[in-house]
Amino acid sequence: MAFTSASFIVLTIASVLLYYIVPKKAQWCILLLASAAFYMAGSVKAFAWVVLVAGMTWVTGLILGRYNAIKPADKAQKAQIQHKKKQIAIICAVCCFGLLYAMKYWNFTLELLPSALGNHIPRWDFVVPLGLSFFIFQSMSYVIDVYRGKYAPERNPLRYSLFVSFFPQMVQGPISRFDQLAPQLTAERKLCWDDLQIGIQLALWGYFKKIVIADRAAVLVNNVIMENCPYGGAVIALGILFYCIQLYCDFSGGIDITRGVARMFGIDMTLNFRQPLFSTSLTDYWRRWHITLGAWMRDYVFYPLAFSKPFGKLGKWARKHFKGMMGKICATSTATFIVYLIIGIWHGANFRYIAFGLWNGILITASLLMERRFLSWKEKLHINDKSTGWRIFMTVRTFGLVFIGRYFTRAPRLKTVFTLLGTTVLHPHFSEFTSVVPTLGLGISDFIIIFVGILIVHGVEFFEERGTDVQAWLNERPALMQLTVLTVSLVVLLLFGIFRAGYISSEFIYKQF
Amino acid sequence: MREKIIEILNEICPGNDFENETAIIDDGIIDSLDIVAVISELMEEFDVQLGVNDLTPENFNSVDAIVELIENAQD
Repeated sequence: MAFTSASFIVLTIASVLLYYIVPKKAQWCILLLASAAFYMAGSVKAFAWVVLVAGMTWVTGLILGRYNAIKPADKAQKAQIQHKKKQIAIICAVCCFGLLYAMKYWNFTLELLPSALGNHIPRWDFVVPLGLSFFIFQSMSYVIDVYRGKYAPERNPLRYSLFVSFFPQMVQGPISRFDQLAPQLTAERKLCWDDLQIGIQLALWGYFKKIVIADRAAVLVNNVIMENCPYGGAVIALGILFYCIQLYCDFSGGIDITRGVARMFGIDMTLNFRQPLFSTSLTDYWRRWHITLGAWMRDYVFYPLAFSKPFGKLGKWARKHFKGMMGKICATSTATFIVYLIIGIWHGANFRYIAFGLWNGILITASLLMERRFLSWKEKLHINDKSTGWRIFMTVRTFGLVFIGRYFTRAPRLKTVFTLLGTTVLHPHFSEFTSVVPTLGLGISDFIIIFVGILIVHGVEFFEERGTDVQAWLNERPALMQLTVLTVSLVVLLLFGIFRAGYISSEFIYKQF
Repeated sequence: MREKIIEILNEICPGNDFENETAIIDDGIIDSLDIVAVISELMEEFDVQLGVNDLTPENFNSVDAIVELIENAQD
């Protein structure tokens, strides 16, 4: 069930109505039923996998909770309990990530094997559940947090299942934490008009980004970025630029819809974007883009790696053998590099995603290593890093690096990435702009709509970056103005939205992850 | 324990008066890169398990706070 389908809108309206009609104690059951309906509308078989993962992680949480409740008599018993907890958590992690591997990466692994061997091993041809990696990551964060004793396990399997399967987050996240989301899902609420209003505004803002900007930009992207692309570098660069616009408006728009729908139930879901267009470094970009994945990687991969014994030994060895920055950051930068490599692989089973992870990992690791040199250059050149000019330069430079990285995520395969990058640099053919661009599926009105749309998105983010809460500002305006904004938003969606056959917009890009 | 902690801090971030410092993290004397090394060293030296939950500025702003953190982890 796509967010942009009529059935999703009907499900949302029906759920909101029922949520506020039924007795408060049963409100969370409505959310659970709506989530089951949403998921089963897509595939009943896929729903079974969600139930399996939810069941497995719930039982693991309960067992870990029992061990957490034991008060050890001495150090030996404490170590024994810790050891058992670790074993249980590892078994659960192997099962969950094993399932993720089997579904997303097994067939890719077979392709890597010599054909004589690979052809004799059965392929995995089951239906891959919607948002597979999102709900596995979310469930595993619960298991690890219970293992760490951060909170007590949830005793009610249905309440826990709601945390795993809450329907607005099933397509593309955000990857929520149990202690942040679960209490909100099961809270008892009165109808709050402010929540409804904010929810509708957020959802409309998301639909605007998705069906007015992203789906329109996608037309040009699909006509340019392909195998054996016949165009010169300038047109290819335009295609990637439009892909950057498409990806941001598609993903952040989808998250806005998710947060908007959740807000209609009074639930405040975690942010997943914080004006990534204003990033001044690649590290800063990854703190603002897909925040919940970055936070997941930080808490459950980076720190455990960096604090592990092998990395401790590596750090000690590096400080002894290398002087200065290299010795200081060797272990941390190795862990950072591994995290970005995993983020790349998380995006999919393809060498271009591995290369995408390497691209980010190498740049960020290199920037850590070069940090002191950059600082001394800045001092020598008398650069004021607080100045607007420097900030603009850093923002444009960061966008350039992100832009190059997007060749990896959009090209059909790794070889094509390098072909497209090579053509962009070596054969720009600027003259094609006037002859080719008008034939790429978009009319002059489409370019104007995309341009104005991006200006609006960028304008809103500009104010948010400066600390203005645009939504709060809007909600303080007179009721007539708010009603006008809502009506205009609806009219803009209906007039300028890209609707396909059956009024179903194209799927969200991050759904595949 | 205090002496050993000061020794570890000085080894990773030399040239500071850790004995009297009460804002090691807040004043940026130890940055996010150093803190990873400090935690690894503390875990190895005192045979304790520290994790993400312990990673708060209050736990590392002074030697006294670090002593308390280690003692709690040893209990």
